[in-house]
Amino acid sequence: MTPTDPRLLVHAYLDGELDPAHALEIERQLADDPALAAERDRVEALRRVIAQQLPREGAPPGLARRIESAIGLRPAPAPARFSSRPSWRALAASIAVAAFLGSGATWLAVSPGPADADMVVANHLRALMATQPVDVGSSDQHTVKPWFNGRIPEAPRVVDLASEGFPLVGGRIDVIGRTPVATLVYRRRQHLISLSEVPAGRTIAASQAQIAGYNIVSWTDNGVAYWAVSDVAAADLDAFAKAFRAGAPER
Amino acid sequence: MGSPKSEDDQARFASVVLPHLADAYALARWLTGDRADAEDVVQEACLRAFRGIGGFAGVNARAWVLTIVRHAAYTWLGKNRSAALVMVDDLEAVEQKQANAGAFGQEPQTPEAALIAKADARRLEAAIAELPVPFRETLVLRDVQGLDYREIAEVTKVPIGTVMSRLARARRRLMERIGTDAPGGGA
Repeated sequence: MTPTDPRLLVHAYLDGELDPAHALEIERQLADDPALAAERDRVEALRRVIAQQLPREGAPPGLARRIESAIGLRPAPAPARFSSRPSWRALAASIAVAAFLGSGATWLAVSPGPADADMVVANHLRALMATQPVDVGSSDQHTVKPWFNGRIPEAPRVVDLASEGFPLVGGRIDVIGRTPVATLVYRRRQHLISLSEVPAGRTIAASQAQIAGYNIVSWTDNGVAYWAVSDVAAADLDAFAKAFRAGAPER
Repeated sequence: MGSPKSEDDQARFASVVLPHLADAYALARWLTGDRADAEDVVQEACLRAFRGIGGFAGVNARAWVLTIVRHAAYTWLGKNRSAALVMVDDLEAVEQKQANAGAFGQEPQTPEAALIAKADARRLEAAIAELPVPFRETLVLRDVQGLDYREIAEVTKVPIGTVMSRLARARRRLMERIGTDAPGGGA
């Protein structure tokens, strides 16, 4: 069986793994060869029925906990309030809290807001699916910040982090609960980071979590709750949060 | 900050390995064929991953985790089901011979697409479980877990061309099996 055997290549074709030249060649052969076309139909039917009948299932409950205790990851007392969530998230949060406290930051840990976290992720997802992720697109903080004037009661802090590797993309208005909030969008290579700033009244625990594959870092500073969400690595998002805090001007 | 190194490792483990626990468990279950055994394999794999977390290059966490799970599953199979680990070279040599002899080309009992589409979960699971391990893992990683060929090549440590041929063979065996298993299909 040679590498160019069409019976093999038809699989790679259906899996989207062929380069355009080979894909065109296979399409030509499929049009000419009924036996090959029948094979394509069978493979397609098989792929579809596997996807329908054998959906991906989650890990059994308790497995994550067993693994965490096996490697010495233990829930700290503070995030026990997260107990309704999978325990490793609470653990990740507890580690983050410990790291933040250890770094000398005065990050307020008042109460967790898992529902807010879900809304922040939903806002980020919606923005990624929209035609563009920002309502005002500019890398200039002096363009982005004034744009919020008149749209929400308090203009957000905008910090230039381009030298830190997080260029500003722009800003938009998100809604958390029923409150319109300012969201800044930064970029880390090809990945976008949404940073929502929620004015006083909704204090949150400094924490790090992951929802649906998105990393979230949140903290409260000067009465404003900050939510950073992105698909960048947790360490990168952490670095972003630290850089933003360090760069934030006093108001 | 008693032991920052260990805390770093734990944080890294939590962000690199734990998000892929469901995939890890799924692969282990398909390889061992048993839920409890799969949990043992995943736990062992996670211990290995934790010890080796410093060696993760940060490119593809899922492929890295699945590579370790596969290795742990193979160790487990070697201890408990050594018969399952057929030499794939022999397997492929046999199929090669059949192909050259025309048996592969004539596809005598390959069912129609409509019949394949009617297969239910139980029949599919049984047919996949009968596949030799190298074919089974390739098919599961692609068609159940959705990895692309490059990731599968990384996890199973074979060239992409081998991934393609194993996947084609695995699917062909499944299609034939579903055809002969069909209710009212003469069996």
